[in-house]
Amino acid sequence: MTETPDLRVRAEAEAARLPPLLARADHLAGTVLLGEHGRRRAGLGDDFWQYRPAQPGDSRRMIDHRRSARGDQQFVREREWPIAQSVMLWVDQGASMRYASADALPRKADRARLLGLALAILMVRGGERVGLTGTALPPRRGRNQILRLAEAFSLDAATDYAPPEHRAMIPHARAVFLSDFLGGVEEVERALTKAADRGVRGVLLQVLDPAEESFPFQGRTIFESVGGTLRHETLKAGELRDRYKARLAARRDRLATLCRATGWRLGQHHTGENAQSALLWLYRALDGGAA
Amino acid sequence: MTVLGGIGFTAPWLLLGLLALPVLWLILRAVPPAPVRRRFPGVALLLGLRDDESVSDRTPWWLLLLRMLAVAALILGLAGPVLNPQQERAGSGPLLVVLDATWAGAPRWAVRMELLDAQLAEAGRGGRPVALLPLTAPGPLQFQSADIWRSRLAGLAPEPWQPTKAQIETARAAVSAAEGGFDTLWLSDGLTYPGRAPLLAALRNKGALRVVETGQPVLGIGPVGFSDGAVQLTLHRSDPGAAREVTVLAQGRDPAGTARVLATVPGRFDTGETTTTAALSLPAELRARITRFEIQGQRSAGAVTLADDRLRRREVALIAGRGDREGLELLSPLHYLKQALAPTADLLDGALLDLLPANPDVIVMADVATLSQPEEVALTEWIENGGMLLRFAGPRLAASDIARTEEHPLMPVRLRSGGRTVGGAMSWGEPKTLAPFPADSPFAGLPVPGDVRVSAQVMAQPDPVLADRVIAALSDDTPLVTRKPLGQGQVVLFHVTANAEWSTLPLSGLFVQMLERLAVSSSAKPPEAADLEGTTWRPVQVMDGFGTLREAGTLPGVAGPALAEAPLGPGLRPGVYDSGDRRLARNVLGEAAALSPAEWPEGVPVERLTLRPEQPLGGPLLALALALLAADVLAALALGGRLWPMRGGVVALAVLLLSGLAGGSLAAQPVGGEDTEFAIAAASELTLAHVLTGDARLDDIAQAGLRGLSDTLFFRTSIEPAPPIGVDLERDELAFFPILYWPVTPEQPQPSGEAYARLNAYLRSGGMILFDTRDADIAGFGAASPNGRKLQALAAPLDIPPLEPVPQDHVLTRAFYLLQDFPGRHARGRIWVEAAPPDAEQIEGMPFRNLNDGVTPVVIGGNDWAGAWAVDRDGRPLLPVGRGFSGERQRELSLRFGVNLVMHVLTGNYKSDQVHVPALLDRLGQ
Repeated sequence: MTETPDLRVRAEAEAARLPPLLARADHLAGTVLLGEHGRRRAGLGDDFWQYRPAQPGDSRRMIDHRRSARGDQQFVREREWPIAQSVMLWVDQGASMRYASADALPRKADRARLLGLALAILMVRGGERVGLTGTALPPRRGRNQILRLAEAFSLDAATDYAPPEHRAMIPHARAVFLSDFLGGVEEVERALTKAADRGVRGVLLQVLDPAEESFPFQGRTIFESVGGTLRHETLKAGELRDRYKARLAARRDRLATLCRATGWRLGQHHTGENAQSALLWLYRALDGGAA
Repeated sequence: MTVLGGIGFTAPWLLLGLLALPVLWLILRAVPPAPVRRRFPGVALLLGLRDDESVSDRTPWWLLLLRMLAVAALILGLAGPVLNPQQERAGSGPLLVVLDATWAGAPRWAVRMELLDAQLAEAGRGGRPVALLPLTAPGPLQFQSADIWRSRLAGLAPEPWQPTKAQIETARAAVSAAEGGFDTLWLSDGLTYPGRAPLLAALRNKGALRVVETGQPVLGIGPVGFSDGAVQLTLHRSDPGAAREVTVLAQGRDPAGTARVLATVPGRFDTGETTTTAALSLPAELRARITRFEIQGQRSAGAVTLADDRLRRREVALIAGRGDREGLELLSPLHYLKQALAPTADLLDGALLDLLPANPDVIVMADVATLSQPEEVALTEWIENGGMLLRFAGPRLAASDIARTEEHPLMPVRLRSGGRTVGGAMSWGEPKTLAPFPADSPFAGLPVPGDVRVSAQVMAQPDPVLADRVIAALSDDTPLVTRKPLGQGQVVLFHVTANAEWSTLPLSGLFVQMLERLAVSSSAKPPEAADLEGTTWRPVQVMDGFGTLREAGTLPGVAGPALAEAPLGPGLRPGVYDSGDRRLARNVLGEAAALSPAEWPEGVPVERLTLRPEQPLGGPLLALALALLAADVLAALALGGRLWPMRGGVVALAVLLLSGLAGGSLAAQPVGGEDTEFAIAAASELTLAHVLTGDARLDDIAQAGLRGLSDTLFFRTSIEPAPPIGVDLERDELAFFPILYWPVTPEQPQPSGEAYARLNAYLRSGGMILFDTRDADIAGFGAASPNGRKLQALAAPLDIPPLEPVPQDHVLTRAFYLLQDFPGRHARGRIWVEAAPPDAEQIEGMPFRNLNDGVTPVVIGGNDWAGAWAVDRDGRPLLPVGRGFSGERQRELSLRFGVNLVMHVLTGNYKSDQVHVPALLDRLGQ
């Protein structure tokens, strides 16, 4: 378990570079879990937030006359929004993620866990509840949850291509799936469909190794999955490159179609790239609905 | 053994295996490389994809080539290839081995002997009787078993001469006398010499003749000459081949008597040249030390030439009784002497007492009658130590009273007053001629020219010893030249003048020859037989064929003419000969020598002495095959993608190999870096130092004290010292430190003599030692405190000037701070510095004396300054000083003393200059 503190330290370092993530508020009505402290933006809470000049479209009932009487301008009194969001993570722990084509590159699982935990820290710092999909670790607040997440992330699964965990999803929560999505696409489809049924929206981030993108192999080769369950032998690996790329593109198209249908967003990340950009993208993807 | 293209094969049939290589090529080419196993998560996307072609990638051509080369090397290696295979020669019947055995073969004598040994061994295997005939030491032929001759090979040595006529005749007779026929193997040295043809014919009559030569040109060096102020060397070679550089070494003894190379001379044979010359210009002193010249790398008698008197230019001091009369050159008493000696000797002019310290070989005094007492004493001493005084008569000598009544030490005989004149206008008789020289005279054998006339001379008193001392006489038996030994030297008197006034002797060639015989001069040319007529020469050192000199021992003497001209042989060996004071060298090669290669008649097979031994190539080829196979393993692994997983192992293997290679060079790293590191550490910054006493606590306090002082200096002044260093007096260099703090403890060991020598050198070169007895001077110096006694013991061997207690106006009181006393942890003790010069006086109105010179080399006190200065790593005081505020004030004053001390060491008496008086007075408030 020496991995856990290291992972956490790196995740903290990643998280420290971003402002606290503010979850979108349009699911406020659905998730009725009120937070203890304010959302630092105007909302329907009891606490005073700010006066703002009245704008066209504001109901006249909203005008605060005590404030407006002191001048010629009319002001609206806004209250703070005391809401907490539930975010559920699924990070692929399957054997296929434990792959790196070169020593200089991190394994896909490492990168996915790092991103997941960094995101979790951002959420917790913003007051959100963060947990895992499924029943193992329901969303909670607080720093301890980070530790629990880190511990959960350090467990490897034995299966080669792990299916997305879609049980016990809280309705109208947000979900983040981090995987290579090289396994069966039907499982993903089932999970997204189920999530859409429950009003859960979220993000898919496909984490790939550069070698999986470029397929730089030549000659007579036996390809084995990391878990050893799948095997494919070819006499000329170089001949397969174009067809492999086509299949990979098709898989990506399928995922994109799925996301469009369910209201999710699809992102892509290579382990050769900077983790910061991926975290930024995740932040934008989760928060971007407000922009 | 089968020989193919110069390489022999012990198992040639294995080479047929090479034919299988193309088949192997095809087979290897058809077998595809092993598949690469790769972990790849994307395999899920690959499932179901089919290959377009069913043909796999072929093995790369370079891998095939590698494997082919490996197999070919294996086959070749197993076939047993041998470079330079020896061909067996058939032969039967008796074998005669003729050896030149001259100096010309000496440089490669060992090779010759190996070859001869091999030939004898072969003859022994064939059961052939063998006879050996060295031409330089011939004898009757004895056909014996080859093994007997092999056991005698070690006794063969080359002789330093070519076979003489008599020896060749002996050999020919021995060959003709032998019964039956035999084959002959002639180991020639490659030089021709007269008389070979009949011997060759005799040998060919007996059977087949085979000749073996080295094929290397023979190098030789002729006798040295001296002209144009340089030593002239003549170099010869037998083969007019390509241009060649040789180096001639001039060997001799250096002033310490050690044999060494005094000079080297490059020589160059141009293409087609067999003779070249080289010149060596050396100072006369050095030149006279040369004993031999030899060609570097040629170990033979012919490549050595011995130096003799010809290189030794004697120094002759000329002293005339009369001053030169201007314009009368021909009448000058020294004119003919100068003419005779100038080409062959170095002439010195000057006063006698000035010349004697130069220790000339000969002093010539022409018509000098009387000498002063000191001159006479000095001259006598010089002669007794081996000098030679050559005197000439003249009017002054004839007129003087010297050696009239009793024998004068510097005259060989007593003289009658006045001399005599014969054949002049006022006298009867004819001018006298010279009588033939007696046999025991050094002039014996010189021809007496008839035209030498003596018209005046000084006459010797008849005396019992006179007859022994006459070495040349006139025709009427009156002495012309007399000589007497004096100590180790001799005094020679010519009874005539050195110019042509009294005789025509100086005009004749005999005069020069007589001077040569007297060893006054030495000829630059090799002596002719006639010059040496009547002399006998004793061999001193003789050379063997390798050019090594050895003592002549009981070898008989040689007559002069024979030494000059007779050919070398057993009776006349090359070497150094002497006769009286003269030395002659007889070298292997004479003036007219030339080296010409031996010519062999048609039909005589001549073999070169090949030095190429059989060299089996099987091992290297098999090693190459293994290396190629190892490379193949790596290449196959790399192709199969399995090389990188084994990277750790490969790297470890490479590191192992490289470390094995580099181990030697790493181990050869210089180990003396410690001193250098210490020097760099101490010298790169100003560093205060303390002497390590061996008491750990005391050393720590001293270190901490100097650290505190260094910090104080750093903060307050422009002196920014590095952290202090403890020095071990026995080991460390002291010159880097401006000041040494030396705490005294009764237990510390006394430094060794070398350490004291270094300490004294340190003090003399401007260093300062601060002795601290740390006992508050409770007993006063010279009294019974143990530290005080130890201080006395420690300081006794030091070079310390007189001391005095610090006077009130010492520069230490104002080098940086103005101080009155110098407390440490103890406040009272006096400190002692070098005493002011006694003439320093206080000028009225001046606050201090004018003391501008020097820095005191020692400061001695007992106030335990280091204790007061000491701070720990954080800069906090380590030891308490006094009590309360006054204690802190005392610590401050002690630090100020330290600052003043270091300032004093570094700036000298700068603050003692009177220029600073006004400013100081101002600061003092006066």
